[in-house]
Amino acid sequence: MSLLLKQIFQFFRLLNSDTGTNPLAAGLACGLILGFSPFLSLQTLIVLICCFFFRIQLGGALLSAFFFKFIAYLIDPISDPLGRSVLESSTLHPLFVSLYNIPFIPLTRFNNSVVMGSGLIGLILLVPAFFLFKAGIIKYRATVVAKYKQSKIWKFWAATSVYKWYSKYEQFYG
Amino acid sequence: MNSTTPNTPNSPQKAKKKGPLRTEAIVPFFIVVALIFVYFHFFFDYTLKKTFEFAGYQLLGAEVDIDKIETSFFGGTFRAQNIQITNAEKPTHNSVTIGDIRFGILWDGLLRAKFIVNEMAVEKIEIDSPRKSPGKVKPPAKEVAKSNQPSTLDKASQEAKDAALKGVEQQYSGNALGDIASLLSAGSGGGNSLNGLEGTLASKQKLKEVEADFQAKQKKWNEKLKALPNNQEIQALGQRFSKVKTKDFKSPAEIQQSLQEISEILKDANQKYQTVQSLSNDLNSDLKSFDQQMKDLDALIKKDTETLQARLKIPQLDAKSLSQAIFAQYMGKYLRMFNRYKAMADQYIPPDILKKKKTAPDPSMVPHPRARGVTYEFGRPNAYPLFWVKKVSISSKAGDSPYSGNIQGLITDITSNQALIGLPTIATLSGDFPSQQVNGLFIKATIDATQSESRITFDGKVGSYPLESKQLITSPEVNIGFQKASGHLETQGELKGLKDFSFTLSNEFQKVDYAIQAQNSTAQDILKNIFAGIPTVTLNAQGKGILPLLSELDVNSNLGPELQKGLSKQLQKKIDEAKAQLKDFMDKNVGSEKAKLSSQVDQQKAQVEGQLKKTEDQINAQKSQGNTKMNQTQKDSTNQATKGIEDQLKKAIGPEADKKINDLKKQFGL
Repeated sequence: MSLLLKQIFQFFRLLNSDTGTNPLAAGLACGLILGFSPFLSLQTLIVLICCFFFRIQLGGALLSAFFFKFIAYLIDPISDPLGRSVLESSTLHPLFVSLYNIPFIPLTRFNNSVVMGSGLIGLILLVPAFFLFKAGIIKYRATVVAKYKQSKIWKFWAATSVYKWYSKYEQFYG
Repeated sequence: MNSTTPNTPNSPQKAKKKGPLRTEAIVPFFIVVALIFVYFHFFFDYTLKKTFEFAGYQLLGAEVDIDKIETSFFGGTFRAQNIQITNAEKPTHNSVTIGDIRFGILWDGLLRAKFIVNEMAVEKIEIDSPRKSPGKVKPPAKEVAKSNQPSTLDKASQEAKDAALKGVEQQYSGNALGDIASLLSAGSGGGNSLNGLEGTLASKQKLKEVEADFQAKQKKWNEKLKALPNNQEIQALGQRFSKVKTKDFKSPAEIQQSLQEISEILKDANQKYQTVQSLSNDLNSDLKSFDQQMKDLDALIKKDTETLQARLKIPQLDAKSLSQAIFAQYMGKYLRMFNRYKAMADQYIPPDILKKKKTAPDPSMVPHPRARGVTYEFGRPNAYPLFWVKKVSISSKAGDSPYSGNIQGLITDITSNQALIGLPTIATLSGDFPSQQVNGLFIKATIDATQSESRITFDGKVGSYPLESKQLITSPEVNIGFQKASGHLETQGELKGLKDFSFTLSNEFQKVDYAIQAQNSTAQDILKNIFAGIPTVTLNAQGKGILPLLSELDVNSNLGPELQKGLSKQLQKKIDEAKAQLKDFMDKNVGSEKAKLSSQVDQQKAQVEGQLKKTEDQINAQKSQGNTKMNQTQKDSTNQATKGIEDQLKKAIGPEADKKINDLKKQFGL
């Protein structure tokens, strides 16, 4: 649990810093896939492993997954018919028969209409979402963070000895 | 905040640029993997055991204990040992104990998210073995409802129970043997008196209402009859008709005047006729409603008679009713049990597996769309279904334990998609439980969902089995049961679409030692004597209907005719007396009054109808006279007009007028 909390705090820290827009945006985009997929499925495992081994911000992915789980819940009435129409497509039927009968692929639960529908929506939105998140982070830093750092409250806090001690600690052990 | 970032220019130690791979995650990853391994190695089996025990208790309503569960992830194997299912009716004993269940899951299937078992072994089966401590039994649904919100299963099973009970009770209303015992111990009418019951008769109340209604109607009809045209008025019409000139008209104006007069008189006659018709229609409508009231009254008299018959405890002394009365409680229990398992199947088996007919969804069970969706199976020949146990071999040998039996059985093709594999599930089981004296056990069941409607058939036989303290009838007046007996059972049945059920049952009880207790010693002696002459009891039943109710249930037993024979000597006279007493009572309170009312109604009806008919005939006669007059007038006026024209033509044409007129007539075809 503390590992997860640490990751989430790290996300907010990085969000308010000047670096790491790509890991953050990738984390948020991966969260979209996680949110749109069932928890017990192969694609969730793959995304989590990717977040673990690649420099993708895990805290961002978890926060984003939490948020997109609600979105996925709300758009179920769209995902279900979309998934049904894809799964019932006669053109794709031979492909689905092959996928269904080869190892591992059924573990994605692609044969469920809701999973298929929300999975497709997630995949379509993945790349645009990455660039939108990246642009959003840059914009956020340029406006909100910069404005906040110019405020008197922040300057007063930055001048305190507590903050200075914390900064030193961060430099050496953070 | 800049100072917190690793790449700030002011930082004393410049952070090393990190690549896309998170190498520092390797250690945590292996820690997570190790934790998962530890859980599955040390705790998973225990968790599974507890889960099965909990689910078993919830499903079967009685404690389920499992000694040990062993699973192997890499080997894909499962083993459960000593599974004990508590007998809900006798918690000190297990209904079934299974010594060992083991199977291996195909990794080939698991990689495709399919659960495939080639062969499952079920061994060491015991029945009715004692438990170390009494098992926990789930309280009945009603008790749960008092404290908590009942679960959907509880509700479903309770509804099924209630419906089944209702069905049996409707079929066998009353307790014939209890009533017989009462009658044996008392005088005519079972000692019950009908005095003071007059006020409770619904038919008597209804009769009063009908009488009041009749009197009101009688008054209304009399008033309406007074409003009918009287004799003088109708005669006046005739007089008016006779005064109208119908010949020797001097001018067309006279003809016109006569015709107008006749029309007006006819109009008056029609108005009077309509008045009579309207009254006749009213009368018919009133008579129809009255007839309906008399029918309702008859139905109430029948109902009152039945109620009083039940109150007087007058039993039906025919063989069939006796057979049904004796075995109603015995069979009702098994029907309730069957309905309970059927309700469970309805609730827990996914709709596609047994192709259940669509029913109204239970609002408390509507799943969210997220959980619902539609899961498709993209099967192809020889492909795996989602779940498939190809073979379950059941074997057990007597002597392994004191309660185990010699059992051989085979269940094939338990699957989630019978259509894909094209095979139904077939279960056969045969053997004996020598220590329990259960011999010649044979069960064959087929679950076939390969067609559009699921079909479950069963065929069961038990060569012989012991019966001890089996109660057939429990009532305040009499208790009858088997103290000891040896039973033989054969049954077949079919359930279509999990609704449409039919079955036959043939049960024979030999060497029967009866347990008979009656409140009254005379009744007890008589019943004991009769039953002593019936050492073998047969029970043949067949039923069919839409579950949970069986619309057709036919129960026959040799007990019925034997009891009828034995009891008729003692009882027939008393029953006849009681019935006569009841008839007298009903006649006195309702029957005579009803006959009187019927006679009054018929009399009034005849009177009103006669008067209406008489008036109607008189008016019709006058109308007929008017129509004759009108025809005569029209004819006379036509003749006169023709003659006038001919005379004028003759004057104008001269001597050859007749010839020319005849020619002209010929030309016009006159």
